[in-house]
Amino acid sequence: MKKIVALFVALILTLSLITAAFADAQARTLDEIKESGKLVIGVFSDKKPFGYVDEFGEYQGYDVYFARRLAEDLGVALELVSVDAPNRVEYLTSAKVDIILANFTVTPERAEVVDFALPYMKVALGVVSPDAALITSVEDLRGKTLIVSKGTTAETWFTANEPEVNLLKFDTYTETFNALLDGRGDALSTDNTEVLAWAIENPGFTVGVETLGSLDTIAPAVQKGNDTVLAYIDDEIVKLAEEQFFHADYDATLKDVYGDAVDPDNLVVEGGVIE
Amino acid sequence: MDTEFLRRFLPMYVRAAGLTLRLGAAGIVFSLAVGALCCLARQFRIPVLRRVAGVYIELARNTPLLVQLFFLYFGLPKIGVKLSAETCAIVGLTFLGGAYMAESLRSGLEAVDTAQHESGLCLGLTPMQNMRYVILPQALATAIPSIGANAVFLIKETSVFSAVALADLMYVAKDLIGMYYRTDEALLMLTLAYLALLLPLSVAFSLLERRLRHAGFGGAV
Amino acid sequence: MRDLAVLFKGNNLQRLLGGLGVTLELSLVSVALSVALGLLAGVLMTLKNPVIRAAMRLWLETVRIVPQLVLLFLVYFGMAKAFNLQLSGEAAAVIVFTFWGAGEMGDLVRGAITSIPVHQRESSAALGLTRGQTWRYVLLPQAARRLIPQAINLATRMIKTTSLVMLIGVVEVLKVGSQIIDAARYDAPQGAVWVYGAVFFLYFFACWPISLAAGWLEKRWA
Repeated sequence: MKKIVALFVALILTLSLITAAFADAQARTLDEIKESGKLVIGVFSDKKPFGYVDEFGEYQGYDVYFARRLAEDLGVALELVSVDAPNRVEYLTSAKVDIILANFTVTPERAEVVDFALPYMKVALGVVSPDAALITSVEDLRGKTLIVSKGTTAETWFTANEPEVNLLKFDTYTETFNALLDGRGDALSTDNTEVLAWAIENPGFTVGVETLGSLDTIAPAVQKGNDTVLAYIDDEIVKLAEEQFFHADYDATLKDVYGDAVDPDNLVVEGGVIE
Repeated sequence: MDTEFLRRFLPMYVRAAGLTLRLGAAGIVFSLAVGALCCLARQFRIPVLRRVAGVYIELARNTPLLVQLFFLYFGLPKIGVKLSAETCAIVGLTFLGGAYMAESLRSGLEAVDTAQHESGLCLGLTPMQNMRYVILPQALATAIPSIGANAVFLIKETSVFSAVALADLMYVAKDLIGMYYRTDEALLMLTLAYLALLLPLSVAFSLLERRLRHAGFGGAV
Repeated sequence: MRDLAVLFKGNNLQRLLGGLGVTLELSLVSVALSVALGLLAGVLMTLKNPVIRAAMRLWLETVRIVPQLVLLFLVYFGMAKAFNLQLSGEAAAVIVFTFWGAGEMGDLVRGAITSIPVHQRESSAALGLTRGQTWRYVLLPQAARRLIPQAINLATRMIKTTSLVMLIGVVEVLKVGSQIIDAARYDAPQGAVWVYGAVFFLYFFACWPISLAAGWLEKRWA
């Protein structure tokens, strides 16, 4: 019996030492991509309005719109892969996708593991809470329960900056909002555009904090060291500023969702330049 | 392998393991109780309960725990019943586990030779005494491997609780991967944590199985 | 109530069924392979050779203890990083599930075989049957009968666990459900109830026939 346990533990430790020694898999260069005729991009498939699948099975969203343009300008077909917060980076390090366009917030820790291109979106966080117990500042949240969605900027920000706040994390937006409606938390935080749009539809709730913290950015990511593809994306973003591409992207994908509650310039980043 | 990372987050894993163990153990115990009830209802052919047990077993084991949990956690509040996440977790796990335990116990009972039933009664034992001293020990002995497998499986099923924001082992692992992208370290600790929980359980059931073997039984090889 | 309509928007219903198809394809292939390999493994597990026994034991404990998610990540991402071996999500899933299923199945077979009373073997020998014939006509049929309930348990468990493959990029029925719910998030906020309800029944109608078939088999072999 003890032998089995010993053998087993030895097996696990050996495996982990081996996997630790793994370098990233070989990522494709821009030329290899052009030759294969296919650009593989990882996007979310259930996070409207950034990356989702519509009722006809077609990928749509702010990220997807850009993904399509990247493939088009390179002259290749686009293959979209459904990724989630826990495996976004694995897809890059194992070279299963060339680029990740999955609402990926730039943080220094993440920059150690992947290479970020120029940003194409900026995020400010908002906090929505019931009118009866309105939260008007971040300090109010300390010691209370805040609902967030896993893999979002809100989760990253609160974990890094406000350890006194108890985070209740769910996988999807729908779950987070339902949890708030059921009173499982004192407030909810995510992109302020999202909470504003939701508060309008749900009487009894108000956005008590409209922006908080510093502005975070969303950028495309490639495998660390994949310079050719990174350069291509950066060049594209700068070039597309001339036609105000990301504003068009906003109009096509986000305007209907947020309506008049949101000013596009608060969200869109053109040419990778933050104003 | 970043050992600094491992050390920093070990406490989180330990706490999560505690939660997993607590909820899992409760689930296993209640599942056995529910399973035993179902089994008895079917064995003794109690009219209404027998049907109910039958329907319950089919429904519970053919549907995923995640969906069952969602109904408990998000669905019930809509009709005014708000249960805590932990309660939903235990109820869900018991609902699922009870069905599996019932089937394990049933297969154990059926493995006992009819000769045993008859001999016992011939010797003048009442059906209750027969069940208690002759049938059940043998049935349990056959059922133990299956019950052990179910127990281990139920502990692993607790990973579903991460969907209702309970900080169990899977939640912590996915959390750390999503925030810091140290996948290898996070998964290694996850495996070691489950190892620490499940290996003793598995070993305990093996020992139990060996101890319950009676003469002339289990000796086909 | 009006959010029920989300199930019928566009191709949603077909997509859900498609997702179920993916789930079933993956799990049934894995189950079939597991049964085949498991029978072999089970017989191996009853042998007295200590090395074989230890190896089998190690295999079983590994598949029971290591979370399936870790195995999936190891095969799907790990192989790519280690050997530049790019497996599809489906391939990785079948490999991992078969590895798991065969191990568990082997243990069930072992348990069933060892629960057959010794006198069955002795009587067969007394009647002049060879070892092979004893296995084929006496031991295996009885073992099979005892095996059925737990084997069915394992099969349905495997079908339900396939939802994990969404984390290696395979869009199966639960993921499709999640996509539908989120796509309709603004128009039908309570759509989740109906979609998950549909998924619940889809799983049920996929797994239940297997249960029924097992019950029928058991009665037939009584």
